[in-house]
Amino acid sequence: MKDLHTMKVYEEQGGYRSLKKAFAQKPEEIVEAVKASGLRGRGGAGFPAGLKWSFLAKDVFPRYLCCNADESEPGTCKDRELMLKNPHMLIEGMILCSYACRVETGYIYLRGEFHDLNFNLEKALEDAYAKGYLGKNILGSGFNFNLHTHLGAGAYICGEESALLNSLEGERGEPRMKPPFPAVEGLYAKPTVVNNVETLCVVPYIVNEGAEKYASLGTEKSKGTKLVSVSGHVKKPGNYEVVLGTPIREIIYDLAGGIRDGNKLKAFIPGGSSVPMLPADQVDVSYDYESLAAAGTMLGSGAMIVIDDSVNIVETTLRLISFYMHESCGKCTHCREGTRWLYQIVERIMQNKGQLEYIEKMEDICDNMAMKTFCPLADACVSPVVSSIKYFRSDYEEYFKNVPVSSV
Amino acid sequence: MSDNEVTLTIDGKSVTVPKGTKVVDAAKQVDVAIPVFCYHEKIGPLGCCRMCLVEVEKMPKLMTACTMDVMPDMVVKTTTEKVEKAQKGVLEFTLLNHPLDCPVCDKGGECPLQDNTFKYGMPDTRMEFHRANNAKATPLSPVITIDRERCIACQRCTAYSERIEQDQGLVMLNRGFHNEVGTFNNEPYDNRFSGNVIDICPVGALTNTDFRFKARTWDLTNAATLCAHCGCNCNITMGTRLNKLMRVEARPNDAVDDGWICDKARWGHHFVHSENKILTARENSRGDGKPTSFPVLPHDCTIEVAAGKVAEAFKKIVEEHGPESVGFIGSPYGTNEENYLYQKLFRHCLGSNNIDHKTYQDAPGLPVSHYDVEQIETSNVVLLIASDPTEELPILDLRIKKAVTTCGTRLVSLNDQKIALDRYSSQSVQYKVGCEALAIDALTNGLARELGESAPAQGSDQSGVSAEDMKSLVETVRTSMKICVVYNPSALSGEAVFGVKRLLKMIAKVPTMECGAMPAAPMTNAVGAMDMGLLPGFYPGAVPMSEQEEIKKQWGENAPTGTGLSALEMIACAGKGQLKALLVHRSNPVMDFPGGSQVVEALKKLDFLVVHDMLETETAKLANLVLPSNGPGYDEGTTTNIGGRVQARTKALETDHAPDWKIINLMLNALGDETDYDKVADVTEEIAFRVPGYQEISKRSVGKTGCNRESIASADELVSAKPAGPGKNGSLRLRIATFLFAHDKILEASSKLAHHFQPSTAYLHEKDAQRLGIEDGDTVLLSAENVNLEATAKVNNRCQSGGVVVPRVSDEQGVNGLIGVDGGMAWVEIRKV
Amino acid sequence: MSGFTFSAEQEKEIEHIFAKYPFKKSAMLPLLTLVQRAERRVSPEAMVAISKKMDCSPAYVQSVMSFYTMYHAEKVGNYLILFCINISCQLNGCDKLLEYTAKKLGIKVGETTPDEKFTLHREECLALCTEAPMMRINDTYYGDLTEQRIGQILDSLD
Repeated sequence: MKDLHTMKVYEEQGGYRSLKKAFAQKPEEIVEAVKASGLRGRGGAGFPAGLKWSFLAKDVFPRYLCCNADESEPGTCKDRELMLKNPHMLIEGMILCSYACRVETGYIYLRGEFHDLNFNLEKALEDAYAKGYLGKNILGSGFNFNLHTHLGAGAYICGEESALLNSLEGERGEPRMKPPFPAVEGLYAKPTVVNNVETLCVVPYIVNEGAEKYASLGTEKSKGTKLVSVSGHVKKPGNYEVVLGTPIREIIYDLAGGIRDGNKLKAFIPGGSSVPMLPADQVDVSYDYESLAAAGTMLGSGAMIVIDDSVNIVETTLRLISFYMHESCGKCTHCREGTRWLYQIVERIMQNKGQLEYIEKMEDICDNMAMKTFCPLADACVSPVVSSIKYFRSDYEEYFKNVPVSSV
Repeated sequence: MSDNEVTLTIDGKSVTVPKGTKVVDAAKQVDVAIPVFCYHEKIGPLGCCRMCLVEVEKMPKLMTACTMDVMPDMVVKTTTEKVEKAQKGVLEFTLLNHPLDCPVCDKGGECPLQDNTFKYGMPDTRMEFHRANNAKATPLSPVITIDRERCIACQRCTAYSERIEQDQGLVMLNRGFHNEVGTFNNEPYDNRFSGNVIDICPVGALTNTDFRFKARTWDLTNAATLCAHCGCNCNITMGTRLNKLMRVEARPNDAVDDGWICDKARWGHHFVHSENKILTARENSRGDGKPTSFPVLPHDCTIEVAAGKVAEAFKKIVEEHGPESVGFIGSPYGTNEENYLYQKLFRHCLGSNNIDHKTYQDAPGLPVSHYDVEQIETSNVVLLIASDPTEELPILDLRIKKAVTTCGTRLVSLNDQKIALDRYSSQSVQYKVGCEALAIDALTNGLARELGESAPAQGSDQSGVSAEDMKSLVETVRTSMKICVVYNPSALSGEAVFGVKRLLKMIAKVPTMECGAMPAAPMTNAVGAMDMGLLPGFYPGAVPMSEQEEIKKQWGENAPTGTGLSALEMIACAGKGQLKALLVHRSNPVMDFPGGSQVVEALKKLDFLVVHDMLETETAKLANLVLPSNGPGYDEGTTTNIGGRVQARTKALETDHAPDWKIINLMLNALGDETDYDKVADVTEEIAFRVPGYQEISKRSVGKTGCNRESIASADELVSAKPAGPGKNGSLRLRIATFLFAHDKILEASSKLAHHFQPSTAYLHEKDAQRLGIEDGDTVLLSAENVNLEATAKVNNRCQSGGVVVPRVSDEQGVNGLIGVDGGMAWVEIRKV
Repeated sequence: MSGFTFSAEQEKEIEHIFAKYPFKKSAMLPLLTLVQRAERRVSPEAMVAISKKMDCSPAYVQSVMSFYTMYHAEKVGNYLILFCINISCQLNGCDKLLEYTAKKLGIKVGETTPDEKFTLHREECLALCTEAPMMRINDTYYGDLTEQRIGQILDSLD
């Protein structure tokens, strides 16, 4: 829709009408509604949003709401488009969430590279303040809410909620020890809700249309719709909104137009680079949290990266390991050393100097790294390695065939 | 089991610990050692190294024991297959790019990485790539070397810098694999506690530059002893090899140093091997060619002979001129045993009470409890009076920071100068230089008014503290409920110290108030010297001369009970020819007493001057006879720190020379006292017997961590403060401040800490600077008492207008010469050069 | 070290920044960004100035600054080209295009042109995956790149 980012058009489309409705209810009722809707966090972890909100430490004030707009998960670009085209929806969602959680100050943590987007958001904020949707005594409800934007400075790890909080507090973006969880001790050690852009954008719908309507979409455990950023070897890459439970085949072949250049699908990563990849024969898996979990992967951030058969998976894997190696914060030993070691091994394999034993070694290294680190970045690095070995071992073995005998 | 305790099972063993204890600490209680690198009890959990992974029933993943709080009925397993594999994995990652430097690494033999690898790691590595290279052996400061290749990025040192030192000097730079420990713009990591990172680094990344390659740790003989510098008496370990001091490490004692030592403790003990040591007894010709009528020391005589000669000479003088003609100037750097024996010698054998150890006024004992250092953390308010812990008692600075930032303690500073700790104080009240008595009395009077008591002191509003500030200070003190007053008697001019005692009495009157105090003079054993009666008006245990009965009961019928001469009075009397003989022990009046050349003249007039000291001094040059003192490193005995804690010094180095207590014993013998002390503990035993407050002190009770002596009550003082008189036109009141790294006999030119030496500086208030036409950076001349001292002016309002602060930065500076020989307030003229 | 001082305009901006947060410390990244954008790098002098404003040590400022990719110790060119090389872009042939760009500018990746006009860096995912391959030049995103388009874009910048 054209100009949806302007206040005029947004209001014409019914924007901000949820506020009055919400203020007529008690904050707890809204939390319950979000719980009942089955909305799960759309940033990557998929944690039930309403439940997260209810974890806020009782009777501790002030509280904060942070919108995680750090969008750095490779393959993911839905939040950028959302904020570019429909910033007011985010603002509206944040106002509702803050009302429900009794929060009076909110921050939108944007990744540093979204500098221009920040201008747009600030303009939208200005307009919202002017209309009385933000600030003191919003629409006469007695509820105050101030919202600001905050830019990061280039660190993927700051998308992790506790690292985001550290970064917002002006520190190095290293994750924090949990417990305590942000809901108890978050920003400035106060109870804080951290939610993804998309998650918050759903809230106005739930308030306007009701939790049941939202829950009527999707599957039993994955309610509602999801924005999927489809990229890679497809004819029509783009952001698509799908009802959860849609078969992936539909997403890749119908929405995104199928594989380009007449190639065949080889693999796809259904939830951003941090989740295990799946081979083409799994393309009928249903696009929802539980089905993907059953298939050994995750819905994650909802970025569908499509890989066709023109590619040797090892090359892709190396590129991904390289990403995690660069983005590791360096705090814990496994991630700092392990991501680099994996990179060195795969690099050597690609230089035709590898040995078959490397695969077992990599599997063991991944086993030593997974679930033992301070935060899940190491697990994210391990995902492409383990899944590529599992499903595309032959791609690795291709390289071993080329190893000259004398170099072993 | 109370609500505050939790019971859990670790490796099948049940253990009950307070809520909030980490699993790794709970495990120690049942002798289960969980390996760690980044965890340190004092710094807190970091979760970086992942070495302490353990299995916890009902939890899906392995958890780090150092970050996990104990939970009721938790079942922890540390030796399962899963855990063992994880431990091997951690060590493999940790060693992945760690250089195989063990053969040349100083940490070898005491390296947690080595130890953990032996216990939990694999014998081999699967890493076949070139290990990453990084900067080797780079100076992080003149005394610390950093080897970034060895660093395992455990972040212990950076966390130490942030949480303990709280100055964020050492930080992590970059990200990920490029993580490295560094400072701002590669500047040296140069504060006064930097050396502790050497102790806490779990690998050989941060090493002691001074100790580098000098000895293998397993070749060292380690002595558990005490630092010999300030009044904190931090516990240290002196490592020696082939009877040479190799290095000093911290020896954690929660009651004193909390596990840390300052850099002066770590690198400031090289004086034990100084070229300026006095090694044998000798006679001086005194340079005036006059023959002495005193016994001549045979060449190469034994110490028995020398001691005997000294004793005889003193005896002779007493016989001729009476006991008032001899005197003893002792030292707050002597041990309790040495001090005790010397006062016994002079009182018991020579009948003289001319005994002292300082130039400022003070009396022993307190009207309130004598708080130990630990109590700073449990106090609600810490009130500093004339005290600058950062320069005078560094570990106290750390302790106060800890209390303020983690224990909710409030710091209040009542000082004549700005101090570094002002950053942490909730109130910094400044009085004019020289007006401490007025300020303290104003506080006392303020409290009295609130309590409905009569004001005990003369009121005055001339102290430089505004009425508002004083009111606020009174309120803070009154409502504190538990207050610890830390005051520096050596920085209080005139009789102000008695004002402090009066203040303490008044504070104690506040209902439901818990009040304690700490006399925080910077010298090692200032409290001990007072306790041992190195005072003209008190016997050991703060027994005043007026308690004649008690004195005679304890010390015999002939014990002298007339108040003797103070140190400054002794100098004055020497100058007048009334004092004939003086024995000076571990003290240097020529340099350290006020009076400059007048002190020299006075000492020259003595018939007999004996100096018993460790290093050659200006005073020793003037002596007839010089006796050698072994000093710290070699000596044994006890010292009493600012918290009233008596701790033992053990010797780290061997020597044939007799210890001081033995020398004094020989003198005692020569004068008819037949007590024979076999070992220093015998003297300690006698102290326990004779000195009130020290009854429980023995070698056993002191042990390795010390033992508090009883609080000693002070006698009533009825001295009222006199406001400091007005000075000559334009002159400023002089405040000599302590500077930790002064260039003196202890920290010589060759000292490893020489990079801390500072030039002579005079700190002015802008009003005075303007009036005198002086700008920041100008060279100025301070003049008083015919002494001129050059300094660089710094105009930063360190003190109020009317005063000038001059830190004592070296012996050469001769700053004490600016004060008159009677020790009163010094007024200096300042002009631009 | 000669000092770095904030201009009057920057001071105003800094006030505005401080007002957003209940605690000063949150202004660290905004202040660093302010300096980076104005000076094209964050110098030690600037770090000292920031530390004074933030009431912390210069070492701490350097610690934070060196963590984040967007702060540079060395001056970057007038146009900072960040070329995405992450998965979606790689799958769409970014490697060859990066090579082309480097060649066109006459520098190696990671370097700055002698006239200080362009600096070329590889960069991780910039969130324009559906228009891969892409690059970011200063604040502008350019997607669906081809050699031709790259050429046009670079030529259009003065």
